[in-house]
Amino acid sequence: MTLILKLLQSLFSALHSEGTPGQIAAGIALGSILGLTPLVNLHNVIVFGLIVLLNVSLPGAMLGFALFIPVGFLLDPVFDRIGYTLLLETPALTPLWTRLYNVPVVPLTNFNNSVVLGSFVFAVAFSSPLFFLSQWAVTRYRATVGERVRQSKLYKLISASKLYDIYRLFRPGP
Amino acid sequence: MSVGTVRWRAVRPFAICGALGLGAWILFADRVAKHAVESVGTTLIGASVEIRRLHLDLPHGRVEVRGLTVASPFAALQNLLEADELVADVDPLPLLEKKVVIDRLAAKGLRFGTPRQTDGRTLGQSDGVRGQVERWTAQLHVPVLQFATGKIDVSQLDLSTLSTPAAAQSLAAQVDSVRTAWNGGLQGLGVAATVDSAKQMTDRLRGAKPTDLGLLGDARRTLDQVKRTRAGLAGLERGVHAGTELLQAGVAGLAAARQRDYATARALLRLPTLDAPQIGAALFGSEATERFRRALYWAELGRRYMPPGLRPSATPGPQRTRRAGVTARFPRERAYPAFLLRAAELSFELGGGGGAPRTYAAHLAGLTSDPTLYGRATTLEASAPGVRAAALVDHVRPTPRDTAAASVSGVTLSGFALPSLPIRLEPGQGTVSLSLALVGDSVQARWGMRSERVHWVRDSATARSQLGDIVWRVVSGVSTVDVSASLGGTLARPRLAVGSNLDGVLAQRIRALAGEASAGAERQLRARVDSLAERQAAPVRAQVATLTTDVTQRLSGQQALLDQAQRALEQRLRELTTIPGVRLP
Repeated sequence: MTLILKLLQSLFSALHSEGTPGQIAAGIALGSILGLTPLVNLHNVIVFGLIVLLNVSLPGAMLGFALFIPVGFLLDPVFDRIGYTLLLETPALTPLWTRLYNVPVVPLTNFNNSVVLGSFVFAVAFSSPLFFLSQWAVTRYRATVGERVRQSKLYKLISASKLYDIYRLFRPGP
Repeated sequence: MSVGTVRWRAVRPFAICGALGLGAWILFADRVAKHAVESVGTTLIGASVEIRRLHLDLPHGRVEVRGLTVASPFAALQNLLEADELVADVDPLPLLEKKVVIDRLAAKGLRFGTPRQTDGRTLGQSDGVRGQVERWTAQLHVPVLQFATGKIDVSQLDLSTLSTPAAAQSLAAQVDSVRTAWNGGLQGLGVAATVDSAKQMTDRLRGAKPTDLGLLGDARRTLDQVKRTRAGLAGLERGVHAGTELLQAGVAGLAAARQRDYATARALLRLPTLDAPQIGAALFGSEATERFRRALYWAELGRRYMPPGLRPSATPGPQRTRRAGVTARFPRERAYPAFLLRAAELSFELGGGGGAPRTYAAHLAGLTSDPTLYGRATTLEASAPGVRAAALVDHVRPTPRDTAAASVSGVTLSGFALPSLPIRLEPGQGTVSLSLALVGDSVQARWGMRSERVHWVRDSATARSQLGDIVWRVVSGVSTVDVSASLGGTLARPRLAVGSNLDGVLAQRIRALAGEASAGAERQLRARVDSLAERQAAPVRAQVATLTTDVTQRLSGQQALLDQAQRALEQRLRELTTIPGVRLP
């Protein structure tokens, strides 16, 4: 229930934030990388840093993260296959992996794990179409039903919650 | 309205967040490292690895582990080893490449085979190296000690598998057929009518005159009829004789079928076919196989995690909520191996004979995940009074060579149950040795155990069996056990040979008692076959006897009647046709 509530809060916060559709879409795209790849990895620290430091929508990132966590679990077998193919069945890439494997810090990203690499490659490749799709969807939403939702009791209830206050701290600035 | 790329006001909170994260990592680094070591160790060994406390002292390049417990991947409630303390001097630079290089490791208080409360095995029998070794073990043929029980299970002796009932049925049908044929033959001859006709003719001739030529002609024709009937009866008698012989042959066939049934039933008996070497394998083969299986497991694990060459290799990824996947390694010349333990000093304890455990020391060197990079083989040496152990794991060259030999004497050896027997061997203090040489796919291994003060324990809870009694009678008087097992061939086609000092005496005893048991069992089976077969055969034999007696009697009676009628008719004809003083032609 809490998860659903948080997801709803993220959704409404993102869609009705002051951020532009591009900022929200960028947030969703970066959040999807967090959701699709195994969380406790060094590359996700960088992605998290980008979400916080770049002027993208934090609720959008939370929305992307929340939406794509289950997708990540579901697609793990696909990620494993992709990663395995790239790591061990593509001889052309072996010199690259060998170099990266023996460079300080890079191995800490666990890039040499089939699921980590497969999910990261998938997430990065998927983030561009997701960005454009999200941008179009937010624009369409705001142009059609956005104002009616803003006036609804549900939205006002969520806006009054503490979470909204936290969001306001990180809301995308003009 | 222009939108800036960087959210500058978030820089400070982010920096604070990063600092907090760093602080948390420093605070929880020990716990994180402990979890990582446990996870990697568990994945690698295939059994639970637990650490009571781990402390990272990175500024001094030191890692301290206390209370290490590694569960056995083979036995459910046993630890492979426990260690009181491990102190490792770690080279910090390779850690940046996520590689662990330990210059020196000191392990104190190592204990092997200690009991544990829960099953620490994490892999199924078909998984990974364990599955590979299980499949290999399945190839080793260990005979089962079996013996004739002297009892026949009635349900095993199926009536349909016996020959006698079928032969009896066939003979019964033959009897019916012959009886019908003989009755038809007798009726067809019309003996009674011929005899009656002859009697009437004899009576008519009593008042006849020699000049009554018509009557004399009739009398001669009747006499011819009698003679023809006699000839027919003689032919029928020959047929009956032949038929009787055929039926008697059928009765003899029943006896032959009975002998075949005895042979069929005898095949149901499990008669002992074990010779002395097979007895050794049956008694100690499982134990020897278990030792070889464990040795091979570690050798195969070494080959998986210490592959020769510089080619990329994959091992199972770390256990986590998400899928583990595989983790690949990409070794490169002049780079650090993923794992290297340059030298380790191990202090371990082994149980003494009834006294306090004794402490021994061992030295391990060059344990690495990338032997080709390190360029030297892994060596292990342990030498102390009563203990000699050495191992050389050479994966530097393309063909891996794994050799290990260990001999421990003067310690209490763990006991084991003899397979399929309610007997347990407690070797007590003795000597045990194991050697393994695995070169490529070729394997040579030996396992030996000698104890001069063994103790045999009989499991009273298990049902008594004749075989158990025999073996118990033999072994309970034996105080010295000397077992030797060897394994040869290739991993794909291994050959196991096991021998012990018990083999000869046990084989002799089993052979002697097998004779008695076999005779008793055979008596029982013959009685059983007799009871089943006789039920079918006896009525048929009686039918044959009755039929042959009856038909013989009937034939004799008919023959006598015809003889009498013929004699009377001939006598009367002679009286009529004889003129005193004249002899007619």
